[in-house]
Amino acid sequence: MRRRALAWLAAALATPQSLAQDAAYRSPLTPFAKVMPGYTLRFPHDEGSHPEFRTEWWYVTGWLQRAAKPLGFQITFFRTRPEIKGDNPSAFTPEHVLIAHAAISDPAWGKLQHAQHAARAGFSLAGAGRGRVDVWIDDWSLRQQNGIYHARIPARDFQLDMTLTATQPPLLQGTNGLSRKGPRAESASYYYSLPQLKAEGTLTRGGKPAPVTGTAWLDHEWSSSYMDQEATGWDWIGINLADGGALMAFRMRNKQNGKLWAGGALRDRQGNSRSFAPGEVVFTPHRKWQSPQTGTVYPVSWTVKAGSLDIEIEPMMDDQENDARFSTGTVYWEGAIRAVQHGKTIGRGYLELTGYWRPMRF
Amino acid sequence: MRSAVLPGIFQAVSGNALRDNPGRLVLALLGIALGVALGLAMHLVNTSALNEFNLAVRSLSGEADLVIRGPRGGFDETVYPRIARLPQVRAASPAIEIEAQLAGRKDALTITGIDPLRAAQVQPELLAGPENRITDLFDPDVLFLSHTAAAWLGLKVGDKLRVNVGTSSVELKIAGLLSPGAYRQRLAVMDIASAQWRLQQLGRINRIDVRLRPGSDAQAVQRELAQWLPAGVHATTPDAESGRSTGMSRAYRLNLDMLALVALFTGAFLVFSTQVLATLRRRTHFAMLRAIGLTRPALTCLLLGEGALIGALGSTLGVALGYALAGVVLEKFGTDLGAGYFRALAPVLHADARTLAAFWLLGIAFAIAGTAIPAVEAGRRAPALALKAGDEEQGLKNWRTAWPGMVMVSGGLVLTQAPAVSGLPLFGYAAVALILLGAVLLMPWLAAAVLRRLPALRYPPAMLAIAQLQATPRQAAICIAAVVTSFSLTVAMLIMVGSFRQSLDAWLTTMLPADLYLRAARAGETGFLTPEQQARIASAPGIGHAEFLRSRNLLLDPVRPPVTLLARPIDAASARSILPLLGPELAPHADEPPAAWISEVAGELFGFKPGDRISLPLDGQQHVFTVAGIWRDYARQNGAIVIDRALYMRITGDGLANDAALRLAEGATPDRVAQALLARLGSPDGIEIATTGKIRDASLSTFDRTFAVTYALEIIAVLIGLFGVSASFGAQALARRREFGMLRHIGITRFEIGIMLGCEGMLVSSLGIACGLAIGWLVSLVLIHVINRQSFHWSMNMDVPWLPLVALAVLLITAASATAVWSGRRAMSGDVVGAVREDW
Amino acid sequence: MLTIRNLNKSYAGTRGGGVLRDVNLELARGEYVAIMGESGVGKSTLLNMIAGLDLPDSGGITLDDTAITTLDDTARTLLRRDRMGFVFQAFHLLPHLTVAQNVALPLALIGAAPALRAKRAGEILEAVGIAALARSYPRELSGGEMQLAAIARALVHRPQLLLADEPTGNLDAVSARHVLDLLRDQVKHNASAGILVTHSAAAAATADRVCVLTAGGLRALPQS
Repeated sequence: MRRRALAWLAAALATPQSLAQDAAYRSPLTPFAKVMPGYTLRFPHDEGSHPEFRTEWWYVTGWLQRAAKPLGFQITFFRTRPEIKGDNPSAFTPEHVLIAHAAISDPAWGKLQHAQHAARAGFSLAGAGRGRVDVWIDDWSLRQQNGIYHARIPARDFQLDMTLTATQPPLLQGTNGLSRKGPRAESASYYYSLPQLKAEGTLTRGGKPAPVTGTAWLDHEWSSSYMDQEATGWDWIGINLADGGALMAFRMRNKQNGKLWAGGALRDRQGNSRSFAPGEVVFTPHRKWQSPQTGTVYPVSWTVKAGSLDIEIEPMMDDQENDARFSTGTVYWEGAIRAVQHGKTIGRGYLELTGYWRPMRF
Repeated sequence: MRSAVLPGIFQAVSGNALRDNPGRLVLALLGIALGVALGLAMHLVNTSALNEFNLAVRSLSGEADLVIRGPRGGFDETVYPRIARLPQVRAASPAIEIEAQLAGRKDALTITGIDPLRAAQVQPELLAGPENRITDLFDPDVLFLSHTAAAWLGLKVGDKLRVNVGTSSVELKIAGLLSPGAYRQRLAVMDIASAQWRLQQLGRINRIDVRLRPGSDAQAVQRELAQWLPAGVHATTPDAESGRSTGMSRAYRLNLDMLALVALFTGAFLVFSTQVLATLRRRTHFAMLRAIGLTRPALTCLLLGEGALIGALGSTLGVALGYALAGVVLEKFGTDLGAGYFRALAPVLHADARTLAAFWLLGIAFAIAGTAIPAVEAGRRAPALALKAGDEEQGLKNWRTAWPGMVMVSGGLVLTQAPAVSGLPLFGYAAVALILLGAVLLMPWLAAAVLRRLPALRYPPAMLAIAQLQATPRQAAICIAAVVTSFSLTVAMLIMVGSFRQSLDAWLTTMLPADLYLRAARAGETGFLTPEQQARIASAPGIGHAEFLRSRNLLLDPVRPPVTLLARPIDAASARSILPLLGPELAPHADEPPAAWISEVAGELFGFKPGDRISLPLDGQQHVFTVAGIWRDYARQNGAIVIDRALYMRITGDGLANDAALRLAEGATPDRVAQALLARLGSPDGIEIATTGKIRDASLSTFDRTFAVTYALEIIAVLIGLFGVSASFGAQALARRREFGMLRHIGITRFEIGIMLGCEGMLVSSLGIACGLAIGWLVSLVLIHVINRQSFHWSMNMDVPWLPLVALAVLLITAASATAVWSGRRAMSGDVVGAVREDW
Repeated sequence: MLTIRNLNKSYAGTRGGGVLRDVNLELARGEYVAIMGESGVGKSTLLNMIAGLDLPDSGGITLDDTAITTLDDTARTLLRRDRMGFVFQAFHLLPHLTVAQNVALPLALIGAAPALRAKRAGEILEAVGIAALARSYPRELSGGEMQLAAIARALVHRPQLLLADEPTGNLDAVSARHVLDLLRDQVKHNASAGILVTHSAAAAATADRVCVLTAGGLRALPQS
């Protein structure tokens, strides 16, 4: 599903504050498409952009090996459609805004290295194409050509250039790709994942390029209204299991920090997949870590129960906090984790923890 | 001398003199204090302005390495993606800057339309501030204001602001304030898309701020861009940008700086004159001290110390006064003292300790310098001679040669021939300084020469006065010089300002031949008249003839501010009746490029001469014109070019107009026609209609406001001069107390002594004022033909305002005579009769 | 000619002030009187009142039927200008005028014609013996010469009353003697009256009679 912390920004983009306060308007607001049951996802067509929906994201996470040392990486492209009144003929009209975010988790570094880039769509400088994965902001891009996904992130502090090759068909989340996010039916999104992607490429840091290889996970999700009003944050995991299987689980938290909604999916090594009902997913926190930067306390190690599967979650390193107070105005934790069962690592993936700094507001 | 003895001796040399004669102390203190205060205030005002300006330019272009700028009217927005995609470019931030006229106000507000996301890459400070969400700007009906603009407009977040666009208006809501640290100018920020749409600039941008990738050569990129950027669009570095902006006001600021320096000079002169006279007065006292064993260097040092003490006290006062004055000036007039250069800036008084210390030391240095000559002279004088009455004049004997003064004045005249130094008339100012200084140095010689020729009068008080002056020409010269310094400056400014005003008046007459003027959005660029509106105006009842004018900015040279292009109906035959042409005109032949008439300023800035071919960027294309004449223009300091409007419309297809000059039909009255026009256009908000008289009055009152500060400086200079007269007469009168006592004994009435002093004052001030007039006239020639010409590139006809000058002269002579009498009266107060029995 | 009756005056002086009490003096034409007294006793104050430069608290001063004490300042000044001459201890010549110009100053004040002025100034300079110095400036003169010039100035307009206040105070003995003799001669020669204020007995001895001013009043010293 991947609401992801940057979705907060997307939400902010979608509803200008002043707009919400002003009642009377000359022109109708931008109409958004709704997530409806019964839609059948088609590939590769639905890998492309769905501009009629309010928000959409392509989210790649994964574990890499560089010189026999593990690294985590995360690349996200958001497309959001601001709610604009009137039909401004200007070519600069921000019909869509694109935001990209990338981060490297390196235990040797001790904390995240991250970068972000944003621009309004237009003048071919930034955009999201239909029909296949094709999203870019200037020279940052994520594109699919000939079945291979190509991500380029030439950030200031690091440069990531990588190809991702699918080894399995898409994993449709929820009910045939329609993923519920809350008790109300309208809180939903279209959501599919591409687990077990073979990743190869070059990571350049400090001007020194180094080859990297690993396994990644791509989420693609789009919706116009997926957040429930009651939600204050969420916990999410996506894990490539060592045996070739894949596990996704999430929990939306309410104001009492309890479970508002939950869900997930497991695909076994044979390729059989099943979705979990809200009651089948239980997140139990163990060890907590307090950020020296923000003072926020995050439960960084967990027990997650999904159906009959019971796993322990342990972070690659404790400090994988994203302090984005000065750009998007939020603080969250997102990082590489191991899935451990009976003391044995059975998978590698990513964990996202939001709403621990302050409740997420929409 | 052992240090323990020093205070005692100092007391002997100075202490009593200062205490017994507090008037002199106060005058000397005030002289230094006024000089330092004026100098410091002017300096602070100017540096504050400069700081603000640089800060403004810097924060606007942020961390940009290059700024691509076109005419105010803008250029095609498709330039932006081409720039953004250049391999050397890391980030490009497009913008449209518009001077928008505020509805219901006379002012314009600079609205910058930006892409906040792009701006964040180049100008990170632009939208910094925790309370702002850049995405709020996506609402097309909102803007962010700088704190300054909000304070200026008296608006807060959530309030509405109306700006005129064309002849209608748009309401915008204030959704936030820009961070107070980054912006001190009056400025509003909108989303670029909203600005293009709401302010009718679709498809246009006029600025792109560019950050280059590390390792890129800005100049190489500049060269590359020059190859393909549309005509009139240039890439510059932000440094050049800020240089260009400050260059506009540099000359004006230098003018003020120089005036302040003249005030400081006058103040120093005042210290000098009071010190000279005070030292002279104490000669016998010093002689006595010397006689009882005070060494010569010790006496000189002690006197210098006294000067330093006075300087320190006066400087302290002056620094405090100057700082306060600068604050008041900034508050009341703004950084340009009302001249309108930094209109959009809200200045913050900027004074660092170094500057204050420097001015403090300068004041002390001036005071010591003022004391130096008399101190050295007092030390050198043989004690026995100094003990004799009448020796004072001998003390000044050394300054009677004329040649140093002559050399300086001639040197000054030679310097007037030198050209400007990087746009500044530095040699002109040096010339003024030399002429003034030379005049001062000439005074002892001149005073002696003139006074010698005064006739002997029978009336005893007059006779005594003349005898006194004839016997003490050099002491009189000090007094005369005080008058000359202050009065000549005043005369020069009066003549210059008077000439300017007269020329402006004549210019307005030529420029405003019609009965009524209609203007769409008096301030800013968002106002215009559509062709349909033009037709409606032309056919309105009561209108005999309507002429429409389109004005646009053209960027001819990226390092200079844009010139104004004025398109109006004009041809070679009628040019002289329409424009105040200077010098010859020529009509281009049929096979030559069409005619363009350029303003004097444009001619000087760009070196255009009649007959030259010039190339003007119109709508992204270069078009060649022939310079058909040069006209005087006081309105547009960056230069203006007039071309025929029909031709302009053929080239650009732009049928809009900004102004209309309307001649009324027979029998129509301006008020009725104005009413009818407003009704006919249906939107009085963006339209302003004024009669010729009103425009003229407004222009002249603006002129007067601008020069108000120079009047203030003149008054101060005159006051300092009068202080000088008072100081010098006060000192002399005190020295002559015994003389007055004796005169009373032998039967001269108080009234007659008053007459005697009045005569002395009148003679001295008349002489000073006569010389001041002559020197002032000379300096005014330099001001008009050298300094103004080189600073502002416009000429004016010399016009001496005789009446005010004569009135001022009479007033000053009266004041100086009264001052002399008053000083004498003060000296005669107390036991003047008993003074005959005082020994020393 | 000069009559002082019951003059009373309290004054502030340099040595703390004092009181003149019940001063009476009668001075005839041609009479030359010396007034002696200790410092601070009020000699100068008395002289100032006679000259009309100061007014008594009570009592009267009459000069040839003109009651000086009833006149206003201007009238007193004009009276002084016309009918009195002054000699000071410190000479007080105007430094910017020549000796002749200094001497002619009182004539100029009473409006004498230039020719007359030059003639009278020449005569009087001749009389005091410094005709040769007529064109000199005061600073070129010795103390005695300056005082001679000052005496010439005091007498040039033939005043009725000559007032001399310690005229020899700044002079050496020889010059002093000369000046005193000259003063006396000129008073007698012009048939005017003279008052010499001094604290020198030798100087006082040149007068016709000597009075001593004390806190109790002015009393005549018996003639020796």
